[in-house]
Amino acid sequence: MMGWNRLKWFFPMLILAGAILVFILRSSVNDYILSIICFAGINIILAVSLNLTNGFTGLFSLGHPAFMAVGGYVAAILTFPVTRKAMLLPALPSWLAAQQWSLLPALILGGLCATLAAFLIGFPVLRLKGHYLAVATLGFLIILQVLITNLESFTRGPLGLNGLPLLTNLWWVYLWVVITIYVCWKVKHSSLGRSMLAIRENEMAAECLGIPLSRTRIMAFALGAFFAGVAGCLWAHLVTAITPTSFSVIMAFHLVVMVVVGGSGSITGATIAALMLTSVVEILSPLEENLGAYGISEIIISIGLLLILIYRPRGIFGTQEPAFLVKQRQRVSGEVGRSLSYQNGKGGTS
Amino acid sequence: MKRGLFGIFTILAIVGCFAIASLAAEPIKLGALYNLTGGMSSIDAPALNGAKLKAKLINEAGGLLGGRMLEVIGINTKTDQKATAIGAKKALAMGVVAGLGYGDTTFVMASAPLFQRKGVPFVTSGATHPEIPKWVGDCMFMTPFGDDDQSFAIADYTYNKLKARKVVVWTDNSMDFTKALSKFFKQRFTELGGKLILEDFFMMGDKDFSAQIARLKAASPKADAVFISAIPNEAGLTVKQIREAGLTLPIVSGDGFDTELVTTVPGPRLANDVYFSTHTYREDTRPEVVAFIKAYEKEYGRPPENAFAPLGFDAVGLIADAIKRAGTTEKSALRKALAATRGYKAVTGEISYTRPSGVPMKAVSIIGVKNAKYKVLDTWFPKQ
Amino acid sequence: MVGYIAQQLVNGLILGSMYALVAIGFTMIYGIIRLINFAHGDIVMIGAFVTLGLVISGQIPFPVIIILVILAGALMGIIIERAAFRPMRGAPQVTGFITSLAVSILLQNLGILLLTAQPRNFFCPDYLQTVFNLGSVSLRTIDLAIVVIAVVLMVFLVLLVRFTRLGMAMRATAENLKVALLMGININRIIMLAFAIGSGLAGVAGMMWGARYGQIDPLLGFVPGLKAFVAAVIGGVGSIPGAMLGGYLLGFAEVLFVGLLPPIYSSYRDAFVFIILILILLVLPTGLLGRKMEEGV
Repeated sequence: MMGWNRLKWFFPMLILAGAILVFILRSSVNDYILSIICFAGINIILAVSLNLTNGFTGLFSLGHPAFMAVGGYVAAILTFPVTRKAMLLPALPSWLAAQQWSLLPALILGGLCATLAAFLIGFPVLRLKGHYLAVATLGFLIILQVLITNLESFTRGPLGLNGLPLLTNLWWVYLWVVITIYVCWKVKHSSLGRSMLAIRENEMAAECLGIPLSRTRIMAFALGAFFAGVAGCLWAHLVTAITPTSFSVIMAFHLVVMVVVGGSGSITGATIAALMLTSVVEILSPLEENLGAYGISEIIISIGLLLILIYRPRGIFGTQEPAFLVKQRQRVSGEVGRSLSYQNGKGGTS
Repeated sequence: MKRGLFGIFTILAIVGCFAIASLAAEPIKLGALYNLTGGMSSIDAPALNGAKLKAKLINEAGGLLGGRMLEVIGINTKTDQKATAIGAKKALAMGVVAGLGYGDTTFVMASAPLFQRKGVPFVTSGATHPEIPKWVGDCMFMTPFGDDDQSFAIADYTYNKLKARKVVVWTDNSMDFTKALSKFFKQRFTELGGKLILEDFFMMGDKDFSAQIARLKAASPKADAVFISAIPNEAGLTVKQIREAGLTLPIVSGDGFDTELVTTVPGPRLANDVYFSTHTYREDTRPEVVAFIKAYEKEYGRPPENAFAPLGFDAVGLIADAIKRAGTTEKSALRKALAATRGYKAVTGEISYTRPSGVPMKAVSIIGVKNAKYKVLDTWFPKQ
Repeated sequence: MVGYIAQQLVNGLILGSMYALVAIGFTMIYGIIRLINFAHGDIVMIGAFVTLGLVISGQIPFPVIIILVILAGALMGIIIERAAFRPMRGAPQVTGFITSLAVSILLQNLGILLLTAQPRNFFCPDYLQTVFNLGSVSLRTIDLAIVVIAVVLMVFLVLLVRFTRLGMAMRATAENLKVALLMGININRIIMLAFAIGSGLAGVAGMMWGARYGQIDPLLGFVPGLKAFVAAVIGGVGSIPGAMLGGYLLGFAEVLFVGLLPPIYSSYRDAFVFIILILILLVLPTGLLGRKMEEGV
């Protein structure tokens, strides 16, 4: 019970400390560092929300960038200044051309549209398993890219929408990082989260226990998609441009890397992996610039990734959260999960 | 006491010397944003080579503004828009006096507005959409001509010199550059009185054009020429496959075809009757061009890979010229000096910013390929 | 019109042959150690560059080049298996997937660093480029060679897997790795062999890719790798005949879609391919010839 008491204060303090940090950073650091921190934050939102499907529920989805694209485009069209719309998107229906929203409603609507897309695609596709699901979600991403490229009157085709208002700042990113982590944390430690973990560990057993498989799966998928949509909006209003190739297959891979390196199912792990991968790229870039050997940072990162995977094949944190963050009661369920996953051998056939 | 005073003076003197030396030698930084890995790297890497070469030549000749060295910081943005935005902010945070980069409009549009916001000039080396300066603002400068100019040039040549009246147009539908090129070509060619009999499409990265070729073959009435709007990666492939299929009609295109691949991939037997409009440098005998090619070969051990190499070279040249005229690296003075560029003798032709659109007035070369040899057939001049 | 369709079918056959060869390696490796190997496409790239190196370096006869390329691909496969995949055997499947991504990024960027990103002319001797006509279908020698070599290699592989002791051991391992181990099968050797054979085939596919299109670059492996993944999934991952079938189906589908529909739909090709794929999977959740098996990535 002591732990419980400590935790009650720990999280609000953490959030407050984060807010103070944001405040200090915004007044002391240059734009470049700030933008890296913002992208790191967006990556945290993405990795943590992808964890809902890929980590908790054991659904191997590569479709996260597709939901970002949905959210990003919806919000971008809504926030685009009316005058610029008239110049760049003359074919837009007039009711849409007259809209000029501020960031928050656009973010939420973008997220909701992504959720809707997740429901539509999820109902048929989530019956698939493993890599079959991976290919199907990848397919969704590619289909969506093709559609965006060809729906010129809404998206300007391959050129994309550019010159979006720069609405995303560190406060917005921080707010959504906190919301995402909070929601995912609550989900993980709720009965829904335990249902998800049960499905991941043993589908048949979970079904026998009366866990509604398809409903739980689609909940995980749709909730993840909402945050992906929001992240897509934040992304678009930070880069101030959005094109059909903004959210690519390669991005899907990078996100999966974050989840796995952090440890499938670990929120702390995903957060740290997202931070790590975003910053390592920037730390290595001066090396490239000085040597003039472009591509070397990718080589170093991939070798580093291989080493991490060899020495920590289950990621940095496995499915666990670090001990000091978790209530006693919650940890037990985690332990059970882990021992189960070892017994199963999880595809590890050796 | 005396000794102490002497010591302090010595230290002060040394520090002072260093301060003056560092002030004099403080390099002028240019941020060169390019996709050096990933899908666009074949286009962007030569441009950075060209840019670095120009800086090296300037520095060997004593630098700018009384001995300050020009430093081109190559930033790799990995064919990724997030990296592009970060890269632009990084360059700005490093205190670059100007930015340059990119051979593609999409990436310019993800970076140049950030420079515009800070009032720092950005010179694109290879993006050719004629509306870029309008979209970005007064800090945006283009090294190349606009797509309208190059399309009009080749359309005129196709109609007047090749005497083609009916054309087929192939467009890479995945890129903005190629779509714009086709749009302007169709517009000009039909204005001249020519007829478009078939439009066909492909996507960047396609390797197999057999379906398009079959339709080209079957087109009735028979086409007099085919216009292929593609980037260098598909240029050689399309020529090879069209010729292998036994079609001998003229193939026309824009600067996307300005690559060795157009001759090497089909080989001498098949690389015939290809005409493209491009920057005036290939096979040109102006002293700037000869000197550039010689310097490039000496520096990198190979001839320039494509037209983006001299364009990168010229982008740095333009900025250096403006710095010289402005006499300072202060951003608004530099911007004004850039905008006042008249008759700058670039490798890719003379550059003057006299049009209201901000697109430079540059001559366009028409190059013909016969038995895998390039030859300048015509030079086209834009109207105001 | 008949001639046109015949030509398109032949084109589909050629493209399908290359997809099938890459997909086989993909599916073999998956069948035995349940690894989705995204680095497989980059072996195609390596095969293409090795071929180019051999062709440029001198008068090596064509059949010798084929054998050398198979060996080079196989060697690459073995190296990758030893260096990257063996150390993490037994980890969750998704870890293997990420490992293969890391290997793929590594190979691509090494390629860019060492060979530059510029596409290169793939030099191909003239006797391979001779065009001849079969009725209304025009073909080059190399096109014919691609189909013949692919079929020969596939027949050879099927015979190997079906009728030799080694093949039996491979099938046993794919069936149940642990039991196979208990039966005294040298698992490491079998896995290495699967990588060697699969990568060898991918290497040949690289040679074909270069020879057919005449141009190669360090990033060329991404598309065949992705398509092979799709082909293998259509056929049912783990099934060798399934991979062949999937490869040819995908080849035909891509070519015919562009060839038979009005031009403007060309840019919808990839969307179309994936829509078909998803539909196939919804009807047959384990692909055309895949067996139902316990899954969990």
